[in-house]
Amino acid sequence: MKGPAPLRGLSPLFLSLPLNHTDTPPVSICEAAPVPYVSSWRTEPTSQSITEDELGLQGRRPSCRPPPQLQPMPKREGFKKVCRTEEESPCPFPGLPSGVLEMRVKEGSKIRNLMGFAMARMQGEKAGSGEGASSAGLRQVVFTGSGRAVTKTITCAEIMKRKVGCLHQLTKLQYKVVKEVWESDQGGASEMTVHRTVPSISILLSKDPLDPREPGYQPPEALSALWEDKDGAEPAAPTCKRPHVAASHSSFLQPKRLCLGEGVSVLPPH
Amino acid sequence: MTEPRNPGMSSAPQVNPAHAESSSPAVEMDPVEYTLRKRLPRKLPKRRNDVYVNMKTDFRAQLARCQKLLEGGGHREICIHGLGLAINRAINIALQLQTSSQGALQLAANTSTVELVDDLEPEDPDEAGEPMTRTRNNSAIHIKVFYPEP
Repeated sequence: MKGPAPLRGLSPLFLSLPLNHTDTPPVSICEAAPVPYVSSWRTEPTSQSITEDELGLQGRRPSCRPPPQLQPMPKREGFKKVCRTEEESPCPFPGLPSGVLEMRVKEGSKIRNLMGFAMARMQGEKAGSGEGASSAGLRQVVFTGSGRAVTKTITCAEIMKRKVGCLHQLTKLQYKVVKEVWESDQGGASEMTVHRTVPSISILLSKDPLDPREPGYQPPEALSALWEDKDGAEPAAPTCKRPHVAASHSSFLQPKRLCLGEGVSVLPPH
Repeated sequence: MTEPRNPGMSSAPQVNPAHAESSSPAVEMDPVEYTLRKRLPRKLPKRRNDVYVNMKTDFRAQLARCQKLLEGGGHREICIHGLGLAINRAINIALQLQTSSQGALQLAANTSTVELVDDLEPEDPDEAGEPMTRTRNNSAIHIKVFYPEP
């Protein structure tokens, strides 16, 4: 990840933000310009599309706050986002054939649309009308999503696993760099480029076996074995330290079940 | 006890108005007369190196806790779990741990579905309302953060 690049012309308070310890990953600012106060970007009169990551991540930012006097001054914040590009990140699955169906899940995507399309392609029955012969369906599909779409991405993959069955899964996490260009409203030449890193997830689902040694591999039918079955039926293991230090990922599931007896209400209600 | 199954992933009690007007008394649900109580997720595995991420605790505290386990606690691996909205935060913590370790740590993520139970309790006990439960699903992530074996 990029560390905070040399910051020129920024208020000292902004500089002192503990960027690395907030919920949002660090942001580095390239071209110096007055920095708009983040949470007030929403109040911009222009309804320029402020997309998922901004609202989601920045809404939580105020725990480390910039100087409050910036807030009631709309003039200072006359910045418009001109463009937003996601930088090409390396494919998390090396060796994947190029023709694989990639479902890019966005925050506003409807699950029924995504699943309707993806299921049709995977099952292959309905695809016959458009493409002709390919009735067997695809062997693999990748779901990717970043920022606030991560949850939806996982949900899609989980639904597909349940519906199709016998799917091997490989999950990868990485930061994705998003470049944004902001421009001043008042016609000044000031322009600002912001590099933001958002967490993203890529889930490969495959009908063919995958390498089980790869980190993030999940065999088929590991269906929620992590959390369910075994209703405290087993004696609580006296020591809950890892029974065996495991190199292979399959044993990831094993120690958890041993300790089911002890865990009570660790999460608060959601 | 009726158990209308709600397959949706939404966390809010989505009571369809058309549904409520339907003639069948068993399915009748008036949102005014019921309180929705979300039960806790089912029993969870809890070892020393399991970290359950939530959205109430301060992010830095949770990150620091993970760092302490890996550095001070002498654990070679920890498991970070996140459910629903906390998935994002779990991923963030895992990626920040990996970044700050300069690549020494590896991540292995698994996903799962967790079945959650909501209780619908009638507000007024004199009314004919039966207490009901509803189940719904939510997604979860389990990230193993570990030092690879040399």
